[in-house]
Amino acid sequence: MGTLLKVENLVIELSTTKGVAPVIDDLSFELQAGQTLSFVGESGCGKSMTALGIMGLLPEKVGRIASGSILFNGEDITKATDDRLREIRGNDISMIFQEPMTSLNPVFSIGEQIAEVLRRHQKLEKAAAWAQAIELLDAVRIPDAKRRASSYPHQLSGGQRQRVMIAMALACEPRILIADEPTTALDVTIQAQIFDLLEDLRAQTGTAIIMITHDMGVVAEIAERMIVMYAGRMVEQGQVDHVLSHPRHPYTKGLIDCVPHLMATLTEQRAELTEISGIVPSLAEFGQDTCLFASRCHLANQQCLQARPTEQHFNEQQLVACWRAGEV
Amino acid sequence: MDKSKASDTLLKVENLTVQFPIKRGSIIGKKKWLRAVDDISFTIKRGETLALVGESGSGKTTAALAAARLVKAHSGSVELNGEDFLALDDETLRTARAKLQFIFQDPYSSLNPRLKAESIVREPLANLNTGSQTNDKKAEHNRIVDELFEAVGLRPEQKKLFPHQFSGGQRQRIGIARALATQPELIICDEPVSALDVAVQAQILNLLRKIQHERNLTYLFISHDLGVVQYMCDSIAVMYLGKIVEYADRLSLFNNPQHPYTAALLSAVPSVDRQRRSKYKRILIPGDTPDALNPPIGCRFSSRCPAAQPICSESEPPLISRTDGHQVACHLVSDTGESPISALI
Amino acid sequence: MSNFSKPTDSSTSQAGSQTIERARHPAADALGMFVKNRAAAVALFVLVLIVVAGIVGPIVYETDPYDMVWAPFSPPGQEGFLFGTDYLGRDILAGILHGTRVSLLVGLSAALMTVFIGVTVGALAGFFRGWVEELLMRITEFFQVLPTLLFSMVIVALFGPTLTVITIAIGAVSWPAVARITRAEFLRIRELEYVTASRASGTRNAKLMFSVILPNALPPIIVQAALMVGSAILFEAGLSFLGLTDPNIVSWGQIIGSNRPYILDASYTVTFPGVAIFVTVLCLSLVGDGLNDALNPKLRQR
Repeated sequence: MGTLLKVENLVIELSTTKGVAPVIDDLSFELQAGQTLSFVGESGCGKSMTALGIMGLLPEKVGRIASGSILFNGEDITKATDDRLREIRGNDISMIFQEPMTSLNPVFSIGEQIAEVLRRHQKLEKAAAWAQAIELLDAVRIPDAKRRASSYPHQLSGGQRQRVMIAMALACEPRILIADEPTTALDVTIQAQIFDLLEDLRAQTGTAIIMITHDMGVVAEIAERMIVMYAGRMVEQGQVDHVLSHPRHPYTKGLIDCVPHLMATLTEQRAELTEISGIVPSLAEFGQDTCLFASRCHLANQQCLQARPTEQHFNEQQLVACWRAGEV
Repeated sequence: MDKSKASDTLLKVENLTVQFPIKRGSIIGKKKWLRAVDDISFTIKRGETLALVGESGSGKTTAALAAARLVKAHSGSVELNGEDFLALDDETLRTARAKLQFIFQDPYSSLNPRLKAESIVREPLANLNTGSQTNDKKAEHNRIVDELFEAVGLRPEQKKLFPHQFSGGQRQRIGIARALATQPELIICDEPVSALDVAVQAQILNLLRKIQHERNLTYLFISHDLGVVQYMCDSIAVMYLGKIVEYADRLSLFNNPQHPYTAALLSAVPSVDRQRRSKYKRILIPGDTPDALNPPIGCRFSSRCPAAQPICSESEPPLISRTDGHQVACHLVSDTGESPISALI
Repeated sequence: MSNFSKPTDSSTSQAGSQTIERARHPAADALGMFVKNRAAAVALFVLVLIVVAGIVGPIVYETDPYDMVWAPFSPPGQEGFLFGTDYLGRDILAGILHGTRVSLLVGLSAALMTVFIGVTVGALAGFFRGWVEELLMRITEFFQVLPTLLFSMVIVALFGPTLTVITIAIGAVSWPAVARITRAEFLRIRELEYVTASRASGTRNAKLMFSVILPNALPPIIVQAALMVGSAILFEAGLSFLGLTDPNIVSWGQIIGSNRPYILDASYTVTFPGVAIFVTVLCLSLVGDGLNDALNPKLRQR
């Protein structure tokens, strides 16, 4: 198991009417083959932008990779041509989204849509592609796959649609599967089914998974490593167990404590939830040489307002960008 | 207000049923009815919070809308303070609405984009005419609006802004202020935080708890998020396909879920607590919620239940209490209140 | 009301909103968007010019459009008549200037009538649903399937070619489109939570319909109304061309209609009023498009 993806000092800029904002600001991380890595943070923190950057799907003319590199198997895909990028998207990196309905074409049956992907990327014949589409639907546990293959997206439930999306993503046997909040629109029992499916597929095919989510519970449940993002910057990364049990960044701690989690045993006692006051700063404030979390942080002092925190290592695997990390 | 009984139970819903006509196929074809809410009963004590929990399609929101007469109930009764809410004529209902208010899920569609924040909060006051003298009414309404803005944590200068100028959390605060304007006794909170960012959810949940204590409010809390429910509620009714399948107080339900569906639901919630993850094995229930037009015969959960027995698809289990006040609708729960699921894990 | 306490949570201080925001009415945003659309802004400017010409023109340019002022068919630019004279020797420029009022008035009043009927029918149907909706929409469909030009000709033929009848005829055949748009908007908006919220706080039906839902349903109706003015002007021209117009009142269509027989010999007699109609309708259409972009919330986000 080697390093599959290595992102170094990545900066992604987005031009808005008010100027250019670094929506991803100096991000570095590695993804090993077969690993599950999770990005966490509130909306507007750059989680999805990272995924789009890796996929080469940044909004045209608005977003661009300003500096840094994304090494996939040693190849820098920030310098790849459009054709090469398309090849990588088809064969090596796939993505599934939050709302499967809008990602599926309503006028083709789901079998046809999966077969189309197979014909394009694996150059299969029509009949062979259809047969394999049914196999894939079966693999993602769509009941009665043979008959279901001729269904149209609107005839499926939300959970089934997401399974179809996963089947399409797997059609290219990708090395990396990026899942952007894949279960946010689904019920918890269906979410559990999808996670179970992803976990099995990962074990069987060795596909690495990048899971983008806002739910710490989801991270705890399925990821090995996690990266907490805030206002376009990595604030903490490390092994999930380490980070969840000893968060070093006040934002990470806040994200964990602000949600009323189900605990092993419930008691009469209900402590007030920890609030993270305020909201994520607007794009205009991104990129300043301060700690961007300072305005919401109860530990913030003069230093936090004067310089961007440097990244510090804690017990080998945990990396934190906070001036006061020792005190959390 | 008579003190003895009425002051204890605030809302009493009995045998509430809501159905919608479904047009399918030809125009002349027989009308089919979809039973979104099927014969449910619950009560809420003054100052307490009851949660209606369930997944999409369980009928929890419809039940609440019907209780507030925002959706027409087919049968059943809703007593608020001992008065039958469903029997009120239109004009009495209009004024009676002051006692029962709503907080909505979507902070973006729940505020009229053409009104200023203060007008949104003032609307119920103007409609229900809660002011005393006509002369000072306007001044009094203004004073109440000011106080409400302060109570929900909004700054006075924000009164003049339009909804699109607020963040999601702030919009939800406006929604809460609007619900408080008429000094209601019962507030129905329909997924009040599920559309908000996690960090903002805590702000709103804390605010809801705070105003509940300050004003002795009673909540009917609708949610799919069991973590939030656990934090907010005193008792919980779990709904599946329009029926209540389990109804118990907070500790009893979370520590000893008896219905297989409740157990599966609880086990499916991802948790950061390692202890909980090792203690509860995830119970996977297959498939999706069945079509509400053709619910399974017998127990509605039987088609997905990992513990189902032949009897489950023959007769519908009644909602009964085996152990102290913990009601469950399942044939297979033992007399000591042990879930059939526990044998499977 | 003494139990309102001070907020104790720290959440009042919001990041990034230290500067006090000014209240921005949604309409102000729309205006900003509209002005950014170059074509629409220019079109609006031209329209204003046309309206001004219609109001001031006849006062400044005193020639009576009904007077035979010169020899018939004198070409444009000669003998001091900028647009020439028609078959009776009447000044075409004077006709166009006087006709501006009439054409615009017919367009506006027909559009107003269309909007009035259409909004009333659509609002009632969309708000009350059930049998009210069934009945009103069947009536709407009845009017929609009638061939519009033929139907309006019948009305004008029956009741005589006065401006009022013509306006009513145009309104009577055009309202179904507005009714359908209004109904669709009402159906969508009545399900939104702020409407439910308003109902939950005891708002009466009439108020709900006209001061809660209607203002939010207006954008597409306004766009439709702008386009409707244009098509009503065209409609009036069409009827005039067929001779169904008041011969005693000069309008753009009437000039074209009366000069129709000489279209080959003296094409300028119909070209100038034709250009006036073309420019006006084009501008109305561009303004309609601009309004559509400006009022469409999807385009306005961020």
